[in-house]
Amino acid sequence: MSKRDRHGSRAWSGGGTSGNGPQEWRGRVASLLAAGKTREALDTAKEWFKERRSPESEALLVDAYEARLRALTARGLYEEARELATRLRERFVAYRDRFAGVVRQSEMLGGKFETLVAELASTPPPRRGEMERILGRKLTDPGMLADSPLLPPNDPLRRGARAVADLFTAVTSGPLPDGALARLDEIPRQSPLAPWKLLVRALDAFYRRADAAVLANLSAIPAESGPARLVPVLRRLVGEGAAPDHRSLAVATLLDKVDGGRARLRSALKEVTRALETKSERAAVSAAQSVLSLLASAPVAVRRTFTASLFHQWVRLDLNPAALMRVLGRTSDPEVVRLAALAVEPTGAWDAALAMWDQYLAAAIAIGTLPARGLEPALILLHMVELFPADPREVWDLFDVESEEELRRLIHAKELPECFDRGRLLERALAAHPDSRVFRALVAHHDAREPKRANAEAERWRRAHPQELEPLLYLIRGAERRGSIRRALGLVAEAETLNRVHPEVRQSRFRLLLASAERRIKESKLPLASTDLDLVEREPRAGEGDHAAYLTALRWAIARKAKDAEAAAGLEGALAARTGNPVLNELILDSVSNAFGVEPPSPCRMPSPSETIDAVARGLDLFRGLERPLAVRPYRFTHVEGSVSRASAAQLHSLCLGGLWLPRPSLTYVASGQGLAVGGPLLHRFLLARGRVLGTAIGWEERERARQCLRAARALAGRARDQETVREASATLETLVSAHTFNPFGPADDERGELTPEAISSIIAAERGHRHLPHFEAPTASRKRRRRRRRQGDLLDDLLALIGGTP
Amino acid sequence: VNPFAVLGIDESADDAAVRAAYLAAVRKSPPDRDPEGFRRIREAYEAVRDRERRLELSLFGPPPLDRLEQVLDALPAERRHVGPAPWLAVLQADHR
Repeated sequence: MSKRDRHGSRAWSGGGTSGNGPQEWRGRVASLLAAGKTREALDTAKEWFKERRSPESEALLVDAYEARLRALTARGLYEEARELATRLRERFVAYRDRFAGVVRQSEMLGGKFETLVAELASTPPPRRGEMERILGRKLTDPGMLADSPLLPPNDPLRRGARAVADLFTAVTSGPLPDGALARLDEIPRQSPLAPWKLLVRALDAFYRRADAAVLANLSAIPAESGPARLVPVLRRLVGEGAAPDHRSLAVATLLDKVDGGRARLRSALKEVTRALETKSERAAVSAAQSVLSLLASAPVAVRRTFTASLFHQWVRLDLNPAALMRVLGRTSDPEVVRLAALAVEPTGAWDAALAMWDQYLAAAIAIGTLPARGLEPALILLHMVELFPADPREVWDLFDVESEEELRRLIHAKELPECFDRGRLLERALAAHPDSRVFRALVAHHDAREPKRANAEAERWRRAHPQELEPLLYLIRGAERRGSIRRALGLVAEAETLNRVHPEVRQSRFRLLLASAERRIKESKLPLASTDLDLVEREPRAGEGDHAAYLTALRWAIARKAKDAEAAAGLEGALAARTGNPVLNELILDSVSNAFGVEPPSPCRMPSPSETIDAVARGLDLFRGLERPLAVRPYRFTHVEGSVSRASAAQLHSLCLGGLWLPRPSLTYVASGQGLAVGGPLLHRFLLARGRVLGTAIGWEERERARQCLRAARALAGRARDQETVREASATLETLVSAHTFNPFGPADDERGELTPEAISSIIAAERGHRHLPHFEAPTASRKRRRRRRRQGDLLDDLLALIGGTP
Repeated sequence: VNPFAVLGIDESADDAAVRAAYLAAVRKSPPDRDPEGFRRIREAYEAVRDRERRLELSLFGPPPLDRLEQVLDALPAERRHVGPAPWLAVLQADHR
């Protein structure tokens, strides 16, 4: 069936029109036109025209065509209307003027620029508005309007177009001078150029990096205006909004030219993130490849940062690193292995990371990117050593061995890679570069295992770095531990030539001479002990605090050992005069008597609570500082704990520290509680003491309280710039957290986050309210065999298989 | 962000080159006009100012980014003046 049949005109004709008069034909066409059926009306008019070619039927046909053209134009089919009208102008010459008008209107409405402008030039102002609106929609280059000869040179629209065109060229070609945009002020808001004015302003703001102004101007550009097509592109360029249509070559070219491909890189990076969020490994690999190709000309550092970050997220999401390693290059590429090792480290799979570092080291040395000797390999080997768990039993558990020797046997038998021998790694590091850090690690490694070996390494260290104090200090401590006081004093003399004012050097001579005197008292070499004491008394530290009282007590012990009762009585009197506190005399003499096996004097009778508090606080400070055991009759502690409200802040602080040192947790708990109640500048220290002592209590609630106290102590100490307390609180907090939770990515966010002043006040108030003493009895330690703690299933095996290593 | 990228230097740069790059970057982002930019530059300089630190960074770095999109921060945010043609091409291509 033909279109005509479908539209039904034939049916009307076949229904007996033949023979109808002009009135019927015209009536029928008119009714169809009135119903908006222009096609059917045209077909009917054609029918009559074919049947009877008369001026009347031709006029009716022209009317129908004209109606049809207007219908096409109304539907936006400007091109179709224009082509039809052009043909009709040739066919119906007598009516060409009627069709010419339609052609012009179609061209104008269809955006034919010249027609629109010509029409605009010849149209009086009242009708010009509609045409300007069309122009506003169709204008894609203000230069065309500015250059059009159809508008008079002084036409405001042409002048405005010139200003816009000039400024558009200028703003896209270089920075605009100040005030350049003032020319745009002439353009009224109703002008078809108004969107262009906004676009030029947005571009100027874009190049000035005033992104808020860019977005403000863009938001005012009407969506149907000519420049609106640049709105999503500019939004994209300032990092706002969705990506514009990248299928458009023109858009892609513009983005690339303006931002050097940054917008495409941003989209590609978002693709990787999206793929990772959905754990879609294949999509993530594909998107990562796109990013890498876009970064091909970026600096190496940028590419490396991307790769490292991608690896990190990849491993954290438990995706298979092997797939990523293949994308990034050859799996034996040392750089890829290095980045993979760094990504694996935070997951807790230290053994996998260690093996990968070993692989990296071998590969990098083999291809020459790392020297075989020098600081670089030494630092890597040290880093590998640091990956080992602090507790060697964790290493043994992992490999099902019971001792270091058994582990070494497995390594020697090549059942395990050599990299799992910490000592061997340190030897390799030392061979690569005898750096102080390597020596320090080597000495620390052997210190707990083989003190003799540690001493020998410290000697090597001292010979390799004769100007360094650290090995000397280690050797001094070692000699002191072994009782080689003369040797230690010789080393102190050497240390004094290097750095006389170093605190440990300054304290060493006093400590060693004192140790020598004490040993000679024990050996009953009393004259030699007196000589040593003479030397000790010449040291500056002898005058600090209650040291002089302790030295007097040592002389009293010598007198008692020599059975010189008169001298002993005199020294007791001297001691009483020195301390001014009979309870402190009792504590010092009791402690010295215990240490040297002499009879203690009788206890002090009926001291006041203040005297007892002062004595215990000073005694704890003295003996803690000297690292000597303090003998306190238990009822003295009970008295102190029952009367802490009489203690000063300084005494409370001494009692807190002393309680931790003894250890007597109840003393610290009570004293810190009183300290928190008193407040003052030592508040953060009382919180620290409270946190530390609660950390030793039994029960989760106490541990949680400990955590809160330590966090509050750290925060307050930070504000008071007390770095020592900050460090101590952080270290205790870390021990507390790591001892009770497994967190492969380090402390939780709330551990790192700073407490608000309100939160700190609330913690302090809560601690002040806790009156009952917690249970401090330490649980019996039992060593349970721990199995391999692995977040990643067979990560080590997978990765080693990939990089060609042997687990 | 990788300090080498922030300062726009190669990983093989020596102390003098690092210092020169730092001073040039500070001139572009002085603390009074671009405090955030200055902070980043200062941090980058501290991370690579001597050989030892550069070595540490090249062996155990770069630190991973929290978000991959932060890679863009390391790239110069260019806004090139390319003339009117590419801009008009978008309008006219879509128009056609």
